[in-house]
Amino acid sequence: MTAAHKVKITYCAECGYEPQTLDLAKKLMLEFGAQLSSIELIPWEGGTFDVSVDGDLVHSMTRDGGFPRHDRIADAVRVRLSA
Amino acid sequence: MSIDRSRFDKGMTYDAYKAQMTRNRERFEENEKRVDLGREDLDAFRALPRPVKVVVLAEDWCGDVIANVPVLGRLAKESGKLDLRVFLRDQNDDIMQRYLNKGQFKSIPVFVFFDEDFRELGHWIERPASVTEIRAKRRNQIFAAHPEFGSPDAPVDVLPEEVRVRLQGELAKMRDETTKFANAEVIRELREIATRVAA
Repeated sequence: MTAAHKVKITYCAECGYEPQTLDLAKKLMLEFGAQLSSIELIPWEGGTFDVSVDGDLVHSMTRDGGFPRHDRIADAVRVRLSA
Repeated sequence: MSIDRSRFDKGMTYDAYKAQMTRNRERFEENEKRVDLGREDLDAFRALPRPVKVVVLAEDWCGDVIANVPVLGRLAKESGKLDLRVFLRDQNDDIMQRYLNKGQFKSIPVFVFFDEDFRELGHWIERPASVTEIRAKRRNQIFAAHPEFGSPDAPVDVLPEEVRVRLQGELAKMRDETTKFANAEVIRELREIATRVAA
């Protein structure tokens, strides 16, 4: 049985983070295709840019500062896929 | 690059800025209407001996721009003593680099006040610290009153969608309830800077 792997990107809609959100989502879509069961985009506020993979927070703008490097998010997804 | 008359004149007037907005114009104009200008504050701006020039850095997607630029716009319109020119942040990085928040963040709006000879009187960034503080306090109170919202420091994506929507509603209500205080604080801080021209 194939496990369902989900990515959630929570971004500050008030801050204009849509381009970074879409860039990351596109990167994950192109690299992982149907290996991901969903990529959820959550418009939020307060300077948020959080990325979680299967419930694990792999990047938080508040915690880690700035936007994530795409390769680091992709690495986190690969780890989950191979688990 | 410093601001001189030639650069200042390249900025958009307040009305031209509004006309080119591609989003949030309705919210922007609603906020204009909600600004409550007291007689004493208005008199202080009207009493300025000479008009003050104000460079504004803005983008129409930014919540703090939508909240605070209308306050400056109303002050300019009703006092007749503030000459505003708006520059889009992402097309004017040389100006932005001079007014980074804490020396590193491109926070907007930025208001830079100049006398008639383009000597800087002072500048203002994003929102008053007092507003950030009261909203953080109120936010914590919301989380304390609603255990279903979890920790204020936890990522919101762990919340069920219907809980997340309720939290969003509570936060929007809180912002609405603190708007009057926020506008008064913006006016107080801008008045303090603009009236330096009279000193």
